Amino acid sequence: MSIRIQRVPSENVAGGIAARLIAILLALLVAAIVFAISGADLGKLGSHVFKSTFGSRFGLMDLGLIVTPLILTGLAVTVAMKVGAWNIGAEGQFCAGAIAATAVALFVPGPTIVVLPLMFVAGAVGGMLWILIPTLARAYADVSELITTLLLNFVGALFIYYLATGPWLDPSGLSFAATKRLPHDVPSFWGDVHWGLPIAVLLTISLAGVLNYTRWGYEVRIAGSNPAAARYAAIPFRRHLIVVMLMSGAIAGLAGMFEVIGTTHRLQGGISNNFGYIGIMVAVLARGSAIGVIAGAALMAVILKSGIALQTQGVNISTVLALTGLILFFTAIGDELSHYRIVRSKPA
Amino acid sequence: MVMNVMLDVDRMAASGVAGQPIVSLRGVAKHFPGVIANQDVDFDLLPGEIHALLGENGAGKSTLMNILTGIYRPDLGEIIIDGKAVTFASPVEAIAAGIGMVHQHFKLVKAFTVAENIHLGWSETPGRISKALLEARTAEIAASLNLAVKPGARVSDLSTGEQQRVEILRVLSRKARVLILDEPTAVLTPAEASELFKALRQFAARGNAVIFISHKLDEVLEISDRVTVLRGGRKVATRPTSECDKRGLARLMVGQEVVLSNMRERKPGAKPISDAPVLSLRNVSARDDLGNMCLKNVTLDLRAGEILGIAGVAGNGQKELSQVLTGVRRAASGEIRVCGKDLSSRGAEEFAAFGIGHIPEDRLHSGLAPALSITDNVVIREYGKAPLSQGWVYRPSAAAALARSIAEAASVSVPDFRMPVRNLSGGNQQRLVARREMRIASNLLVAAYPSRGLDVGAINAMMGYFTELRDAGVGVLFVSEELEELFKLSDRIAVMFHGEVMGVVDSSEVDIETIGLMMGGQRRLEAGSAEGIS
Ligand SMILES: Nc1ncnc2c1ncn2[C@@H]1O[C@H](COP(=O)(O)OP(=O)(O)OP(=O)(O)O)[C@@H](O)[C@H]1O
Ligand SMILES: [Mg+2]
Repeated sequence: MSIRIQRVPSENVAGGIAARLIAILLALLVAAIVFAISGADLGKLGSHVFKSTFGSRFGLMDLGLIVTPLILTGLAVTVAMKVGAWNIGAEGQFCAGAIAATAVALFVPGPTIVVLPLMFVAGAVGGMLWILIPTLARAYADVSELITTLLLNFVGALFIYYLATGPWLDPSGLSFAATKRLPHDVPSFWGDVHWGLPIAVLLTISLAGVLNYTRWGYEVRIAGSNPAAARYAAIPFRRHLIVVMLMSGAIAGLAGMFEVIGTTHRLQGGISNNFGYIGIMVAVLARGSAIGVIAGAALMAVILKSGIALQTQGVNISTVLALTGLILFFTAIGDELSHYRIVRSKPA
Repeated sequence: MVMNVMLDVDRMAASGVAGQPIVSLRGVAKHFPGVIANQDVDFDLLPGEIHALLGENGAGKSTLMNILTGIYRPDLGEIIIDGKAVTFASPVEAIAAGIGMVHQHFKLVKAFTVAENIHLGWSETPGRISKALLEARTAEIAASLNLAVKPGARVSDLSTGEQQRVEILRVLSRKARVLILDEPTAVLTPAEASELFKALRQFAARGNAVIFISHKLDEVLEISDRVTVLRGGRKVATRPTSECDKRGLARLMVGQEVVLSNMRERKPGAKPISDAPVLSLRNVSARDDLGNMCLKNVTLDLRAGEILGIAGVAGNGQKELSQVLTGVRRAASGEIRVCGKDLSSRGAEEFAAFGIGHIPEDRLHSGLAPALSITDNVVIREYGKAPLSQGWVYRPSAAAALARSIAEAASVSVPDFRMPVRNLSGGNQQRLVARREMRIASNLLVAAYPSRGLDVGAINAMMGYFTELRDAGVGVLFVSEELEELFKLSDRIAVMFHGEVMGVVDSSEVDIETIGLMMGGQRRLEAGSAEGIS
């Protein structure tokens, strides 16, 4: 009887969850050791981090607010990956969605019940418009969407600065890089946490369903994996590419819409908070699984929030970044390990 | 096992090809989940020999060579080079020890020139380089090894045979003493193959050794000095080629007698050949990817219940013909009718809807999505039909069931259908594609080089399926460069040369020599078969 460790192509689910949990615990252990060596009061740091994440109502509310845009941007990147495209521009589409929703809030009169759906549509359309040119360039001229979507991020962020400090600046004069408090809110269901969170989760689950259980999802999978095979099987590669990339932009745009209407209530410079870029990390952690996006976003939210908590305790920013990297690193190892299993075989 | 080793060495000494082996494998085993790819394999490679490695699809040939070149690590057993046990952590270490491999699927960078590809990732590439220097070095190495290549040409512009020569040069330039070729001739024209053989003989004559994997037994008998046969991952025999014949080798590989029957005979009850053609081409012309005319005024008729062979040296328009016939490539001019309906300007969708199956020439690039699961790949023709789809709903469980039944019909054993299809052996991929296409071919099957990469048993089985389709009233267009195969199966044979049809002949009324002349460009005008050629 010999015992060997073997890589299997498909992941085993229970083992995968266990491997990831162990990875996170290990990362925390390493972090604790580093802090202990540098003479920090471990108990105090730990309880503070715990209190500002899971350990208090406010901590949980903050997590709920951070995780919402991360689910959506992570989903945007994941969906684009399904059709073989790298949407590095969720950040820019986020900004465009936020701008479009703000415009509706500022300039369309009417009761919230009427304006809210309009803002929702505007957010999605804004994100879509932002990815339109990269999409068409990729579909018709084979220009890499990697570069074009990335460049538009800077345009989006700067455009928000321009609007928030210029034409849309709060007329009350109380702030110098933000619009006035917007007249409509996405309703909340628990403290500050608004309906954006359940909607994001629902959207993720339904998209996962659509990708796995519809003909369209199957076609997208083939087209994304090998365009030549798609052509061979009469699957319209270009049409799927365009539709899915626009969807990806719309989802990132929704993230911006919820952020501005549900969380910050003003359009302000730096509103995107790198959520678009972190969405790429979420997608990578999720390994292409739409459901994995929710878990990945939750993990990133906890890491971000803990980082903020540590900073308020005087831990400097580079330490926080190093810790973030460490946790991601260990999770990636856990991820890989979940593809291994131990086999016992009799020598033949 | 130890006994075995001793016997082997004894026999070698007795047969007079003594000398210390360059490479010995001892008791090598490699398991994948649910598959024994190699088990207890002993193998000796002597200096100066060309050693053929044979076996059915999935017998473990590629895996064994991947172990020898450091791509996989053996689960058990050892690799001995020049009498010393070694372990390779990567192909780089294997090539440093003088062992290089040309893979079943080439690994060149298409956008680079020949010289750049030769020097890529090579420790002896000079630090300060210029284009001229690289090309001069390449030309020098090529001349010293007697391999003609164009150093300045871009790899994407080269023919398959030329690309292969670059791969070989890449390996030999690193001072390889052992050259491993995995199905090198599957994609070569006969002329290219005989050139390759010349180069291999010269290489071996300098005291080096070659391991040669092939399914073409004629070739193996012609080129090799010894033969090793694998079956189900285990070695069943190593013999001097002089003691082998085709039938014996086939029996060793398959484990039973392979009966090659005449397949032109129809079963009682078979549907007769129809009067009206299922497929008719009138003056069809088409351009290749570079914009050159590659099909010129082709006129052909294929009737239901008939197998029409397309003969010709590869690269004379056969690939484009099969693409035009399946809607993957648009014809530049001319008329294509299927079952009487004009499909000249239609796309692949309409062709597939007309019950046309297509076994493409380059299965890995256009017939499959290598990174997706076996299930996803096997259902690509039927995902939109019941029971896999109802309306817009797709049912993965029904897809899995269909995948299982197709794999079973194709006699491919699959341990896990969620595994990426690229993990299957080359021949098993081909079997799945062939089976998948035969299922949808209710009117017409276009099969481009379907036997490439298949073992003898599988070729026989596949030709049997083709006759079943024929007897059920389907028209089969069968593109091949193996004349023997064409004669065995086809009712009529059309010969292509430089994109034109040189003539269509009845295979019972013509001999191999005539076809050979036509393949070289001699036209044969026969009443009724070539009226459209101007
Ligand atoms: N990476 C892998 N993961 C899982 N199974 C594998 C992998 N590589 C090979 N196999 C399996 O190992 C067996 C041997 O495959 P191998 O490619 O060595 O066959 P082969 O003799 O080269 O066949 P062919 O003539 O068809 O090329 C097959 O059943 C194949 O599916
Ligand atoms: Mg192989």
